[in-house]
Amino acid sequence: MTDLPQDSGAQLLERLEAGAERRSERREFFRTALGAGAIAAVGAAAVTLGSRAMADTTSDTNLLNILLNFEYLEAQFYAFAVTGAGLPSAQLAPGSASTTTVGAVTGGKQVSFTDPLVAKYAREIANEKAAQVAFLRATLGTAVVAQPAIDIGSTATSAFSVAMRAANVVASGVAFDPYASDENFLLSAFFMEDVVVTAYKAAAQLISTPAYRDAGAGLLAAHAYHAALIRTVLYTKGATTAALRTQADAISAVRDTLDGTTKDDVGISPAAIANSQLAALNGLTASNIVPAGTDGIAYGRLVANVLNIFYLNSLAVTKGGFYPNGLNATVVTSAAN
Amino acid sequence: MNDSDILVPAPDAKERRRAGRRHFLRSASVATLAFGGSALLSACGGSGTSTPSATDSSTPTPSPSSTDTLNDQDSFNFLLNLAYLQAQFYTVAVTGAGLPNALIAKGDGNQTVQGAVTGGRQVTFTDPLVAQYAREIAADKVAHVAFLRSALGAATVAQPAINIDGSASGAFSALAQAATVVAAGAAFDPYASDENFLLAAFMLEDVVVTAYTGRQSTIATTLLIDAAAGIHATTSYHAGLIRTVLYAKGSVSTPSLLTNAGLISNARDAFDGSTDLDQGIVGDSVTSNISPLDSNGLALARTAGQVLNVLYLNKNAVVGGGFFPGGVNGNIKTSAAN
Repeated sequence: MTDLPQDSGAQLLERLEAGAERRSERREFFRTALGAGAIAAVGAAAVTLGSRAMADTTSDTNLLNILLNFEYLEAQFYAFAVTGAGLPSAQLAPGSASTTTVGAVTGGKQVSFTDPLVAKYAREIANEKAAQVAFLRATLGTAVVAQPAIDIGSTATSAFSVAMRAANVVASGVAFDPYASDENFLLSAFFMEDVVVTAYKAAAQLISTPAYRDAGAGLLAAHAYHAALIRTVLYTKGATTAALRTQADAISAVRDTLDGTTKDDVGISPAAIANSQLAALNGLTASNIVPAGTDGIAYGRLVANVLNIFYLNSLAVTKGGFYPNGLNATVVTSAAN
Repeated sequence: MNDSDILVPAPDAKERRRAGRRHFLRSASVATLAFGGSALLSACGGSGTSTPSATDSSTPTPSPSSTDTLNDQDSFNFLLNLAYLQAQFYTVAVTGAGLPNALIAKGDGNQTVQGAVTGGRQVTFTDPLVAQYAREIAADKVAHVAFLRSALGAATVAQPAINIDGSASGAFSALAQAATVVAAGAAFDPYASDENFLLAAFMLEDVVVTAYTGRQSTIATTLLIDAAAGIHATTSYHAGLIRTVLYAKGSVSTPSLLTNAGLISNARDAFDGSTDLDQGIVGDSVTSNISPLDSNGLALARTAGQVLNVLYLNKNAVVGGGFFPGGVNGNIKTSAAN
């Protein structure tokens, strides 16, 4: 396993500059590909573009189990932050048809919130993530996978510390404690939230069963609400604590660097609007709450690219980072970038 | 595309993704050429009263995929109407002007009639953060209009008549009156203050999220599912942003924002039938309620008819009213009977 380089400032900068170029390529792709009446095109191109075919529940089961792995991670993080304890064991066990085994949660502790609003946000999200775990488990029934081993610790070797060092939120060799302050909690939540949104966004077109598609849509929106909440709070607090914005930007850059060459992440710092088809908007300073391209389409990530981020590794590996033993799922390998 | 493709451990995923894009690009352009001016679209889009044209003889034999195409056109045109409404609201609030004609005209193969925008003016924002949020959302909504129009091509419906007026007879005021945010007959002016702007944005945002949540599983074409999911996520971020700002301002300095958001939510819920499809932003004593989710943690969904109940401000089956005085353009235009 190749760990994320800890002294990555110069390399990151180099990759980020390349990223700006890729973003404009991506816009070009969308303009061209969906430009001239994509829906009109479908009738003739159905064979190659693919209308929804027969439901493939095996694949759906695999996919939902993968998403459940992500939900376990988020739910445990919020549960510990809010209550000091994790999900009940009944919410972690494998279904009778699954051969997976329950992994342990490493680390995690209660946050002493300073801002009562942040505490209320955290409790809301914790409740909702727990409900989502329960929902996916009930939906998957006997096929449900157990929780994998999860690292949400706060030591110098913990996944959060590795990630935050890469983003220069803490210095080389220093521990980052997600539970030490409101700010650390928010930055940690930020690290995960947008990633899971991109996973659900990309999953939408892969799910076949209509009922699962409805569920996937509901979960996509729910995660985007959560991610927006976290980004908005960071942006607002960042107006007076500037480091929060630059740190969030750096975390976004780390995510975007880990997962390959496609531009699929954006920080929160304000920027001038550019390339809007409404000329009057161009040049105005806007926030960056939504991680989307100038086409207004929120980014998506394939599972393998999501795993690059959660394994904290830009190469093809089967475990690491937040999942020390990998996912409990059919796909356990991150992409080779 | 085989669903299991994505599930195979793939060290070369990046390459496959690139190849997939190239493949898609090729397919899409070939198909566009094949359809040219698209007689299929002019025969079936929009008003349903179109006259067959000389090119109709070249219309391909109907197939299940063409039915899917027409259904997807209807869905995207429906969503485009919602995008017109939101884009006009935000752009006029931010810039004082609306969308250019090139972004509201009908496509070549569509027969719908373009409507005017009533009301709307620039907001003098007090909080610079609210101004920055408004600009970001405005740019995204304009991009959504452009994207949906681009995807629909010749089948694009024109912007319908839209009412975003802040006078006592405007749609925002009607909803605010129904919610008892203002007294009967009184004006609710979305452009008068940061707070009113945020509440007006709130009136629309969650409704559009529920529209996408409810519509997603009806979309047949893989590429369009992906595009709709992207707009869906973006709109959910917008809604989450607005709800968070209302909650924060309501909790710190302006408690009426919390109660008014709850009243507006109740009013929306009263239009769309007996099912609880809406939530305010206040949780219990120790939680917020930024995300309007069901007990499973899933975002709430509305059918197209229920969405139109809210935007027409009418619980009955009608074809216009409220924010769309002449109804939305396209084949999906009737609200549900509740």
